Amino acid sequence: MFILMKKINSIFIIDDDPITIFGIKKMLKTTVICKDIKAFENGKTALEGLTKRIEKGASVPEVIFLDINMPIMDGWEFLEEFVGMDIKEKIIINVITSSIDPLDYQRWNDFRLKSLHYLNFKNKPIYKIEATDLNRVNIAS
Amino acid sequence: MKTIETVPYHYLLKQLPKATALVDTNYSLIEASNSWLNIFDLEHFEPKNTHNRSVFDFYDSHKEFSSKTLKECLSKKHKQVIRHKKNEKENERWFESTFAPWFDEKENILGTIVQIEDITKEIEKELELERIKTLLQAKSEVAKVGSWEYDISTENLTWCKVTKEIHQVSPNFKPKINQGIEFYKQGYSRNKISMLFHKALEDGTPYNERLIIITNKGEEKWVTAGGKAIKKNGKIVKLFGTFQDINDQVLAEIKTKESEQLLTTLIDNLPINVFIKDKESRKILVNKTECEYLGANSKDLIGKTDFDLYDDRVAQISRDEDLEVMRTLKPMIGRETINVRKDGSATNFLTSKIPLLDIKGKAYGLIGMSMDITHIKQKEDQLQDLINVTAIQNKKLINFAHIVSHNLRSHTANFSMLLEFLIKEKEEKEKKRIMKMLSHASDNLLDTLENLNEVVDISTNVNLDKKSLNLNENILKVQQNLAGFLVKNKVEFINSVPNNLSVMSVPAYLESIVLNLVTNAVKYCKPKENPTITLSAQKQEKSVVFSISDNGMGIDLNRYGGKIFGMYKTFHNNKDARGLGLYIIKNQVEAMGGNITVSSEVDKGTTFNVYFNEED
Repeated sequence: MFILMKKINSIFIIDDDPITIFGIKKMLKTTVICKDIKAFENGKTALEGLTKRIEKGASVPEVIFLDINMPIMDGWEFLEEFVGMDIKEKIIINVITSSIDPLDYQRWNDFRLKSLHYLNFKNKPIYKIEATDLNRVNIAS
Repeated sequence: MKTIETVPYHYLLKQLPKATALVDTNYSLIEASNSWLNIFDLEHFEPKNTHNRSVFDFYDSHKEFSSKTLKECLSKKHKQVIRHKKNEKENERWFESTFAPWFDEKENILGTIVQIEDITKEIEKELELERIKTLLQAKSEVAKVGSWEYDISTENLTWCKVTKEIHQVSPNFKPKINQGIEFYKQGYSRNKISMLFHKALEDGTPYNERLIIITNKGEEKWVTAGGKAIKKNGKIVKLFGTFQDINDQVLAEIKTKESEQLLTTLIDNLPINVFIKDKESRKILVNKTECEYLGANSKDLIGKTDFDLYDDRVAQISRDEDLEVMRTLKPMIGRETINVRKDGSATNFLTSKIPLLDIKGKAYGLIGMSMDITHIKQKEDQLQDLINVTAIQNKKLINFAHIVSHNLRSHTANFSMLLEFLIKEKEEKEKKRIMKMLSHASDNLLDTLENLNEVVDISTNVNLDKKSLNLNENILKVQQNLAGFLVKNKVEFINSVPNNLSVMSVPAYLESIVLNLVTNAVKYCKPKENPTITLSAQKQEKSVVFSISDNGMGIDLNRYGGKIFGMYKTFHNNKDARGLGLYIIKNQVEAMGGNITVSSEVDKGTTFNVYFNEED
């Protein structure tokens, strides 16, 4: 069986749970060709990593997997900072949470409406990376 | 001889002050005094005009008698009297003529001596007396006032018509004195009347008394019996008095008194404060409850205003209400008010004020009713407190439920994902890796459950066994337990907690609080500086405040303030941070009725203040 896998330059996984990171990485392996997958344990370290990239002139990640509940800087705080950053590219941000609190969904929707980027909402557990998690432009194809 | 005789007669008679005339047997006037002639409008005796004139001519101008009677009087052999009236221009005059035979020395009748007296005044008096008698009878009939009279000498008792009617006896009933007494109701009334009657007989003491009689028909009646003595030459000869039917009046009075009594009893015994105020808001009536509330008797309260009884501010509010009610004439119903007495004690009332209107519809005061609802208010406040506590606990529970669901969900999600991988995985090496991950996830779940258990323990521990514990001893205990950790981190303590200071706490909680705060202070120290922990404590009115300060990294409270005591919240990149310590000790402090606060400055340090509740 031959699958034409999508190529992505860079992916960020921001989650304090190593098992989730392991899972996402494992699932990505079978869906996408990406040589630059970076994991961060909270929003703060992710933000630092991102800033460093921008300073170096390197490309920003095309896709971000973002957990909400994290110590030091949680997913919402990260989004708040990220949305305010001067990033031209439209980035796909997959908000991943085990929360089933409607308030969290509401908050995600608020961000979706005010952000230029593409925001998805995914409840744990995840078994599969969908095409929409990686690509918005070719959604029709 | 005849002329000799007549001259002195004529002369003498003429001057008599009493009107006198001589009439012969032929009824002709012989002689008359000037005063007699004056009565018939003649100046003086002129023989040519008057002499031998028939006496009837003179009487012609007078009325109210018959000429026949006059003729009889003139011919009788003994004294006769007639009355006659003369009409003058405006008034009338009454006269009385006395006719006496006129004899000669041989007892032969020569004629009649007529003497006239002016009796106008007596007649007037008689008429007046008659009028008064009639009036009195009419009055006594209308007023149901009867009279009676008792003649001592004859032992004769007379009752007037009205008196008989009151006794319900026939008009020709002839009472005897003992019968009269026996009409009075046996007991008080009869004894009293006997005593009064005899006293009046003995020494003339008058009486006037309300008593009960039983009438001839057996009806019970209230009467006023009055009696008075009539004396003649200093001796009591008669008793007379009045007798009045006052039954309707007394019954009405009794009824009024009864309803008054009912009203007073009702108002006095109502368990609410009742008062009536005049236009100036002065009290004109207060009931027992109001007296008891104000701790004074009604005499002292009448005439007082609220300004005399209450705090000025409260009195002004009340006065404003009074004026409003009297101005608009609209009652104020069931308003919640607070009265503050002069001694400062406050009472909650449910007050109504109703305007009192005069006949013209203008308010001349108001009726006030106040129900003491202080205890209801207190219950309400307690209930509100309870609701607040419940609301807080409810919020905590919901929060906790979210934490639980979130944390458990994240673990089960991991299980689910890993199992899915495991099923699909073919490579043995990868399978082993996934299995390792699964066992790791299982450990995490157990940890989480343990943590949650710890929290549940605090929250459900209602029967807290608080003890008075020496604070410094507990600090020392923690220092000993952490000895290795503290030495390794080169921690310096500055402890100014007084040695004898105790706090009310559950022993395990106190240890946990001190342990967590000390550990935190060391954990979040500045990387290149030795941690210094400053401990102090102070007794306050209802609590002991225990402060623990460090010189560590500090926390940006603007950013994390709302989360610092949250579960699974960590703010620094520290491997040991579980995000549980502060959450647990906050729960412990609050479970003991206390409170914990934090102040912090980034790069300067953090201070936690724990307030131990020393009250209950």
